[in-house]
Amino acid sequence: MGRYIVKRVAVGLVQLIGLTVAVFFLIRLLPADPASRLVGMNPSREAYEQARHQLGLDQPLLTQLGAYLGLSSSGPGLLEGDFGTSWVTSSPVGSEIATYLPVTLELVTISFLIAFLVSVPIGMVGALNPGGRSDKAVFVYGLFAGSQPEFWWGLLFVYVFFFALGWAPAPLGSLSPMTSPPPSVTGFLTIDSLLAGQPDVFVEALQHLVLPVATLVFVLSGPIVKMVRQNMARALRADFVLYANCAGLPPARVARYALRAAMAPSMTLIGILYGFMLGGAVLVENVFSLPGIGQYAVRAVLAYDYPAIQGVVLVITALSLVVYLGIDLIHAAIDPRIVH
Amino acid sequence: MSATDAMAPVYQEDVPLPRRRDWLLWVGAGVVATVVVLALIGPWLAPYDPTSTTPDVSVPPPALAEIPGLLSGVLRGNLAEAPHWMGTDASGFDIFSRIIVAPRTDLSIALVSNILSLVLGVLLGLLAGYFRNLATEAMMRVSDVVQSFPAFISAMILVALAGRSLGNIIIALALLYTPIYIRLTRAEVMAQKVRGFVEAARAMGNSELTIALRHVLPNALTPALIQSSVTIGFAILLTAGLSYVGAGVRPPTPEWGLMIANGANQLILGEWWSSVFPGIAISLTVFGFAVLGNALERRYERD
Repeated sequence: MGRYIVKRVAVGLVQLIGLTVAVFFLIRLLPADPASRLVGMNPSREAYEQARHQLGLDQPLLTQLGAYLGLSSSGPGLLEGDFGTSWVTSSPVGSEIATYLPVTLELVTISFLIAFLVSVPIGMVGALNPGGRSDKAVFVYGLFAGSQPEFWWGLLFVYVFFFALGWAPAPLGSLSPMTSPPPSVTGFLTIDSLLAGQPDVFVEALQHLVLPVATLVFVLSGPIVKMVRQNMARALRADFVLYANCAGLPPARVARYALRAAMAPSMTLIGILYGFMLGGAVLVENVFSLPGIGQYAVRAVLAYDYPAIQGVVLVITALSLVVYLGIDLIHAAIDPRIVH
Repeated sequence: MSATDAMAPVYQEDVPLPRRRDWLLWVGAGVVATVVVLALIGPWLAPYDPTSTTPDVSVPPPALAEIPGLLSGVLRGNLAEAPHWMGTDASGFDIFSRIIVAPRTDLSIALVSNILSLVLGVLLGLLAGYFRNLATEAMMRVSDVVQSFPAFISAMILVALAGRSLGNIIIALALLYTPIYIRLTRAEVMAQKVRGFVEAARAMGNSELTIALRHVLPNALTPALIQSSVTIGFAILLTAGLSYVGAGVRPPTPEWGLMIANGANQLILGEWWSSVFPGIAISLTVFGFAVLGNALERRYERD
């Protein structure tokens, strides 16, 4: 088991290095001109050259890569854990990501938990009545929810629940502009507000999360329902289920056995979905103006802020790899055959 | 862009619905056919020019009760000007015209990028599955790295830095989707190349390349073709998502995601029609492609 983890981490590190170098060259080979974006319209020749020099863009590509990785003497780089300085805000990319990332993690994690709790029973209903009316309904629902433009559903929810009914707060961030946020400890608003002993802020943070979470739960429920239905139906055709039925066990008990067998192969997909959502939540963050990592990425990309772009891609990919590894470990715990 | 994008690389057998007539197949095929027809002849059906504004700003769509009267008016040709079936947006664009012309943009991006990645991915997958050596293994690792990119953010980076043009969106999507086809084809080729007909072709004295191209390839193509129906749908979602965050096609190109984005600010003020109608178009279209792909997949597995 230990060797397995070490091997996976090593492969992941190689993958991350490959990705870092690939992204580094990719964004510099594309015909964008960050220096002109920085100096604005109609700059003087000198100002433009100076901007290029400040950003290090007048250096050869390999020198730039060395500086970014921290191999040259110019200062600490990625290998020492320094993501560099944002070209737009001039603050360290690492600490910027640290403030944006928890918002996304909070949103995605809560959405995942709820989507999972909602989707597993729905998928089971389908699988337990193969070919029946409810199975068909579950099947079509899974296909439908899995192929929807989530930003549009977010807007619909805003229209119905904010504009028409007035139940939800305006989609303008994770707290109302009048509320001062609790001191940041973990970065998760729900946890920080409780730590600071401000239950009213906690409730307000939850209220602002309801619609974005509902949007994500809806689109996530599609693939999860589809997967639970498939794996559950397969597990129900297995010999041990036939045996359990013959032995006269109550149907609910048999379904529980089958569910456990169906969950193991589902874990991998859940992991992939979670990793995907870290970057994929960007549209929902955008609709509800949540200051998450996706919003940060959009801002960085539109401003040609190379260090920020590289930092975001690297952090999201690294997090996904960690999640995949964690899921595989859980998978191995549920189904010990995998390790062998 | 949707959650199921992440599932695309995972090719799972689906549980067949036990039913003789597969009505879902026809639902999917119907939606897809409609979108294709609109992409071909949409501009001739549109009552207004989709890229120029009219003086009527933020006109709501006609009430349900007025629609029969307007319809008969249009058929008899006695209306002073064509009705705005879905209203106009805050700039005065006729929403109905833009919606039926938009498949030109959305579908051509999705279709061309998928054809590019399908051709490239199938050929590379064939090589990787048939000739397993150091070079093809290295290629698989590169494809792994590409697949580990966060899809939406990568597409955004490529398009925003290369320039927000149709061609660049197509290239970005083609790049992101190629690994899916490589993986699918490689797996299928590895399953096919140990079968008897390959041995027979070899015994007939065919060269390895001929066997790979003429005998293995046609037999290993189906999973990739089926996948493409699903991927085309997701490409439409991704295109719309890019427009939504301002990293997609430029206004005033008629494109569904851009229309939703333009209407988003008015939505909060109660002007629902400029975002709701294009959203319904995307929702139905992508669902149609997903349903069609799924029905074809089940049909293939039954055979």
